[in-house]
Amino acid sequence: MIPIIKFVVRNSNYVSWSSSSVTANGAKVLWPSTLTVSFCTNNNDSEKKPSVKKTSKAMKAYLERARKHEEFIKKENLEYQIGKRHLANMMGEDPEFFTQEDVNKAIEYLFPSGLFEPKARPFMKPPEEVYPPQKAAEFDEAGRPYHFLFYTGKANFYKLLYEVVENINNLNKYEDRMIRKHLTPDPTQAMSMIGSQWLPQDVLEHRLVEPLHESQYAAFKLAFDRLVSHPYSYRVRDFIEEYRKPLVNQVALQQIPEPQYDENGRPYVTTTNCLRKRSWAEVTVRGAGSGKISINGQGLDYFAEIQSREQILFPLIMTKQLKNVDVEAKVIGGGPSGQAGAIRWGIAFCLRSFVDKEMIEQMRLAGLLTRDYRKPERKKPGQAGKRKKFTWKKR
Amino acid sequence: MLTRYKFLLTVTRNNYFLRQLSLESPNVFAKPESRCRTVEDNPLNHNLEHEGRFYVVPPAVCNQLFRFGGIPKGYEVQAKTFDETCLMIRKPALEVINMMKVADYSRPIVKYVLFGERGAGKSLTLAHILHYALNSGHLIIHVPWVPDWMKKCKDHTRSETREGFRDTPLDSAAWLAHFKTQNQHLLSQTDLTVTSNYTWSKREETRSGSPLVELVDLGINRIKYASNIIVALASEVKALSSSGRCKTLVAIDGFNCFYNKRTMIKDENWKIVPPFQLTVTEAFINLVNYNWTNGSVVLTADRLVWSGNERGESDLPLYQLGKEAFELLDPFIPVHVPCYSEKEFHSCMDYYMERSWIQNENGNTEEGRSELMYLSTMNPYQLMKICGPL
Repeated sequence: MIPIIKFVVRNSNYVSWSSSSVTANGAKVLWPSTLTVSFCTNNNDSEKKPSVKKTSKAMKAYLERARKHEEFIKKENLEYQIGKRHLANMMGEDPEFFTQEDVNKAIEYLFPSGLFEPKARPFMKPPEEVYPPQKAAEFDEAGRPYHFLFYTGKANFYKLLYEVVENINNLNKYEDRMIRKHLTPDPTQAMSMIGSQWLPQDVLEHRLVEPLHESQYAAFKLAFDRLVSHPYSYRVRDFIEEYRKPLVNQVALQQIPEPQYDENGRPYVTTTNCLRKRSWAEVTVRGAGSGKISINGQGLDYFAEIQSREQILFPLIMTKQLKNVDVEAKVIGGGPSGQAGAIRWGIAFCLRSFVDKEMIEQMRLAGLLTRDYRKPERKKPGQAGKRKKFTWKKR
Repeated sequence: MLTRYKFLLTVTRNNYFLRQLSLESPNVFAKPESRCRTVEDNPLNHNLEHEGRFYVVPPAVCNQLFRFGGIPKGYEVQAKTFDETCLMIRKPALEVINMMKVADYSRPIVKYVLFGERGAGKSLTLAHILHYALNSGHLIIHVPWVPDWMKKCKDHTRSETREGFRDTPLDSAAWLAHFKTQNQHLLSQTDLTVTSNYTWSKREETRSGSPLVELVDLGINRIKYASNIIVALASEVKALSSSGRCKTLVAIDGFNCFYNKRTMIKDENWKIVPPFQLTVTEAFINLVNYNWTNGSVVLTADRLVWSGNERGESDLPLYQLGKEAFELLDPFIPVHVPCYSEKEFHSCMDYYMERSWIQNENGNTEEGRSELMYLSTMNPYQLMKICGPL
């Protein structure tokens, strides 16, 4: 169960709530408020004569469901707005300018949670984000479906596949014409798939308002891959890009510290809190060096194992900085491999300030900049170790 | 300073002479002179000019000196693979050899203690010094690795002559055979004779004036008396040296093991026998005592003799020897055996390349070498280990 926080206050004087509903966006109507727009408002009914056509039972049931849902969302929305104002007052802020970001901060402050999974922590969000959207009515009053693919069960999804195939057929025809004219596709306009990816399954499901099976998502990707591989795919660029999501440049997101300068004018960067397993390290990398490595005042022979030494050298060799920098590390806790891992991460993090962006991206791909959050498993009561049991003796 | 200069002069002259010789009658074992190699295989002529280079120990010498141990196992395997026993001429060995050359032998013995971290080359330095001692006509008393007697003792019995002592007959006889092999050329000389009478049993005795080799042979054939014969041999060698009939080198690898608290030997009552209750211990402690002349003592103080991480903090002689041994040996000359210098490291790598030991194509590049340098931290043993699978 997800805890949802509501602030329900009755008879409050200062509630300002606008009842205007969200407008629809045509055929692919997603949000419940839209269904009121599509059809069957009370006005429409009143204008009609006593109808000869009977409303089907399915329609009636649907209308009832839609009405209830709308009412429910209205109520939730009202409670949310009131709760938000309360929260603003509790936090001493202006309720009129209290944004969702402020709400999140306030909840985190008022209900501190030690739970690891962010989804399991307390939150307060508009009901539209919490409750899944419902589809608009897909059939008329006589119970006749609007959509020609209604009986597939996933009309929007199969419609999308139809569109893809239609595009491919059109492009094939176009290609035939071009061949007859002895023309070739323009290489400068060719589609590039670098820097973006197909919409993830959950986003696609949200957009189509239909749950998808894994195989269906695979079919979606396959169909689009085929379309993209067509030599004239750039003619339907807009359609394709609707279903692609740009990748975020991870390296650009990180803030790389500027090196400081010591009394000798040598640049240096210090990374504290380098953690791995049960080890803690503080690593300083100095530029304009000669390749000296000191770990707790000792050389690399601080580590008896070759593997630990390899761990330390890996970032330095990869960035070709082995002979250009000096490394000073202080490390405590844990065992040799944990200590080596902590220092390796520290060195890699410091080295970002001494190498170019391409190298940083390479380091990221090599996994050098990724913190390893795994911790040693705890010992369990009633057994010898984390997994090991006491010797079993019959009596 | 002047003596040193003169010494260097003679050495260079000898060196030149030897090279001429080798040109006329080329030694089949000698490989051409290169950056990592020298044809000079006589330690008498080694000097700083040869420092950091390898020389081939002639197989005959190897057979004589190291047939029963003296070269660490790992290095021996590598030498077998390379089909030659090569030793690197390093500063600590040159230092000891030079000091042995200039020492005043009318004075009480000079003691040298080699110390350094694990795998730095103490035993191989000792091997080089042994080769020098052989070529310079020393009588050699060499213990390849003392802990072998304490940890892997093959057989032990209660001593019949000494109360509370234990004999190690098999190991003692094996060592006497080792002694005989190493000194076979000297023992045949007639002037090495026993100076006092020993009665082993009603029928077996060693009269004064009989050859020393007879005493040794008795120990090898009648292993019951081997441990006591080692004690006798020690005092005989001291007497012979002091009287000037021979010059002696005592070389003991892992000497601090004699001062361990315990051994792996247990007596009839399952009580652990400490090293000072072994008969052989007495002989070798007697040999490093100051009260004789015309000899040198080279010892190593090694942390490997201790079990586990005992005495793991420091490699310095005071710490490794302990108070008792330190006071016995004092005054001595400590000789530090460091890890490879950069020059020695590259020489070693050149040697490996020459022997086609490193097949990895990156092994000879600058990056590859620097990586190996860091990984091994220039420790000779670890370098050997890392280069094995390359």
